[in-house]
Amino acid sequence: MDTLNKILEFAGLFFVLLGSIFLFLGALGIYRMPDLYNRLQAGTKASTLGAMSVVLGVGLMQPGWLIKLIVIILFIGISNPLSSHALARASHRSGIRPFFKKKIDDYEEEVES
Amino acid sequence: MRKYIAFLLIAILGWTLATTFKAIPFGADRRGDLDHPDKVAAFYLKESPEVLQTANSITAIVVNFRGFDTLGEVTVLFLAATGLASILYRRKEEDVEVERVRLPSSGLVRTGAKILFPLMLLLGIYVFIHGHLTPGGGFQGGAIIATGFLLMLITYKHFETNHNVMVWLESLAGLAFVAVGLYGLFVYGSFLHNTKSVGTLNDLISGGLIPLIYIFIGIKVGTELTNILYILLKIKKS
Repeated sequence: MDTLNKILEFAGLFFVLLGSIFLFLGALGIYRMPDLYNRLQAGTKASTLGAMSVVLGVGLMQPGWLIKLIVIILFIGISNPLSSHALARASHRSGIRPFFKKKIDDYEEEVES
Repeated sequence: MRKYIAFLLIAILGWTLATTFKAIPFGADRRGDLDHPDKVAAFYLKESPEVLQTANSITAIVVNFRGFDTLGEVTVLFLAATGLASILYRRKEEDVEVERVRLPSSGLVRTGAKILFPLMLLLGIYVFIHGHLTPGGGFQGGAIIATGFLLMLITYKHFETNHNVMVWLESLAGLAFVAVGLYGLFVYGSFLHNTKSVGTLNDLISGGLIPLIYIFIGIKVGTELTNILYILLKIKKS
């Protein structure tokens, strides 16, 4: 029992560390990326995974909270990408163009067709 | 002229605050002795777990020791909602066509909102039912519930809250709060007096009347904020 607790605690610490690395990379991406869409994807992907693994790590360290924390993980997994999607769509509609003026804009073609 | 009056008012305010803060010694122990409370903070911290059996002493202060103030806060919120409604409902009389959402949301958002809406309501209800055990309470839970309704209101063009149900719920919750207060007045002799048997610490049903009052406040704040959002989101049809 004692070794199991130790293993769970170390696994939890590992997940918390992994999550904080991803959260840091997400913050770095928001700072470094050139325009709204790039920043949005850096913020969403990295912070979703980061927040999920931090919460999972806490759950492994405190198994009594695990069920509630899994619900929170599911909530983050649904709501975070969804809100970024809505933001990106709204900014595209209000006329914010990407930083690099490439000819390809799949979303616009799809809307027009 | 107005500038000078503003400066004068700020100076008076600053002087009052400065003289007040000067009277408080910096870094002094303002909590007091927990075993023999001689100060207000120590009194609350000692009384709320021992006498009221409430784990969250902030809730004990807000709903029990200063419950009358909370009734005033609820009234302020009610008046704000009523005032906003009376200003913004004029559009209806002027025959301006209103709508809420100009462009439809994408399918992803609509599906996701359907999944998230019940979860948000559940979280709001959880927060105000556990107001005496965990951080949070009626006001916070009500705000979470209103956020859930806001998500549905901005996602779906034809999502309508039943106005009659909302008004009745809000009024009944407010009346129930006053009724609980009057019960204390008639049975124990003071407004919002708590019941004698308050349960045991950390139980879901503990703290006497505190959870009951927070449930009423949660329902009232949730419906009120939903009504405010519902009114504010109406825009002129283009």
